[in-house]
Amino acid sequence: MQPYAYPLAVLLFPGGLFALVLGLALKGVDRRLAARLQRRVGPPLAQPFFDLVKLAFKRTMVPDIASQPVFLGAPLVGAATMMLAAAMVPIAGVYTPDPALGNLLVLLYLLAIPAVVLMIAGSASGSPFGAIGFSREMALMLAYEGPLVLVVAAIAVRVGHGQGGWASFSLTEIVAYQARHGAFLFDPVMWPALLAFLAFYPANLGIIPFDIPEAETEVLEGPLLEYSGPALGLFKVMSALKSVVVLSLGIALFFPTAPSGVAGLAVQLCKLLLLMLVGVTLVRVSCGRMRIDQAFRFFLKWPLALSLASLVAVVVI
Amino acid sequence: MTRFIQTLTDQAKRLATRSPWIYRINAGSCNGCDVECATTACIPRYDVERLGCQYCGSPRHADIVLITGPLTARIKDDVLRVFAEIPEPKVTVAVGVCPISGGIFRESYAVHAPMNQFIPIDVNVPGCPPRPQAIIEGVAEAIAIWRARL
Repeated sequence: MQPYAYPLAVLLFPGGLFALVLGLALKGVDRRLAARLQRRVGPPLAQPFFDLVKLAFKRTMVPDIASQPVFLGAPLVGAATMMLAAAMVPIAGVYTPDPALGNLLVLLYLLAIPAVVLMIAGSASGSPFGAIGFSREMALMLAYEGPLVLVVAAIAVRVGHGQGGWASFSLTEIVAYQARHGAFLFDPVMWPALLAFLAFYPANLGIIPFDIPEAETEVLEGPLLEYSGPALGLFKVMSALKSVVVLSLGIALFFPTAPSGVAGLAVQLCKLLLLMLVGVTLVRVSCGRMRIDQAFRFFLKWPLALSLASLVAVVVI
Repeated sequence: MTRFIQTLTDQAKRLATRSPWIYRINAGSCNGCDVECATTACIPRYDVERLGCQYCGSPRHADIVLITGPLTARIKDDVLRVFAEIPEPKVTVAVGVCPISGGIFRESYAVHAPMNQFIPIDVNVPGCPPRPQAIIEGVAEAIAIWRARL
């Protein structure tokens, strides 16, 4: 691999700039669709871009009681982490990450960082709403990380067995395995895991049934309450990148089959849009917000049981 | 080169003004104007999100401030404090007749109207309460002022 390949993958394609533009565009489509489903006109498709430009012109204020380096450093860490994570998810037929860039286990750790960054940001801001957001974010993360790990384990064991080994945590191998044996989307053993993974989306992306840590009407956007200007913009960048990472991770885990080259990229974009519609927009316009205890109980009941069922089935069969 | 950067900044500012985020302050209003603001925000007919507007819960995210009410003595200090929390550049829209003159409360010992003794008001939307269309027009005017300030 060439020496400039890593920076290119992290900063331009498929991480960094590409993922950012894609994430913001998806967000725009999501807002427009949600508005249409509520019989409104909705914002222009480029609205997230306008928001980001606007935030760049605003002043960043740091509260007196906040710890300044942590307060301003947290969004930077979050955005940088998600750039790196975006370079680790393969796009079938288009992009294969270098094995040295890490595997699914590393990605799981990176995926936990935005939530941790939000917690740190909330507590560093010194605001009581930030503190409430912190505790809710932590409870929610504890709830959804378990099922996520089990889903990943089920897939890893499945792929590992197929290769005569025990478990394989390489995303490249997972994609290659599905290219040979058919996507996990059509594998009944994996359906419970797929459902559990779909429940993980709204919790990780902080949208409506599980937007409890950032609930606007309850805790005034919790950890983000004290942020303004470019610092808030960085959080928007982080969440746009995160949506791309999580959505394309779902595609890589369950339905990566695609032609190679430009057609592969187009197929990937269609899949992202479809997944966004089904997994995010429809969920968010058709639900109300849960309480944190309801969400916690929900995750420890259904997604955990479903992912466990898949894992057991994979190990037994 | 400097001219290029200048044009680029102008373009960026033009884009930026398409994303006004709105924050509401109730300075002792009777709630009539607040209901009209909420109507403007919430019902599909007047959907302000199509203008890029978003109602935000935190004063730190705000660009355009809608203030209602005659600024009662009790709430004056809190309103001034919240107003100071809003980062520059910001534009203030006074909704209703109360911020202008005190409205039906004008002779009360408990109000500090007119509000512009304490807070710089950029746009007045008179009415008791004003219609949603008037509020949207006020916001549109505020966006024009905001563009000059960016």
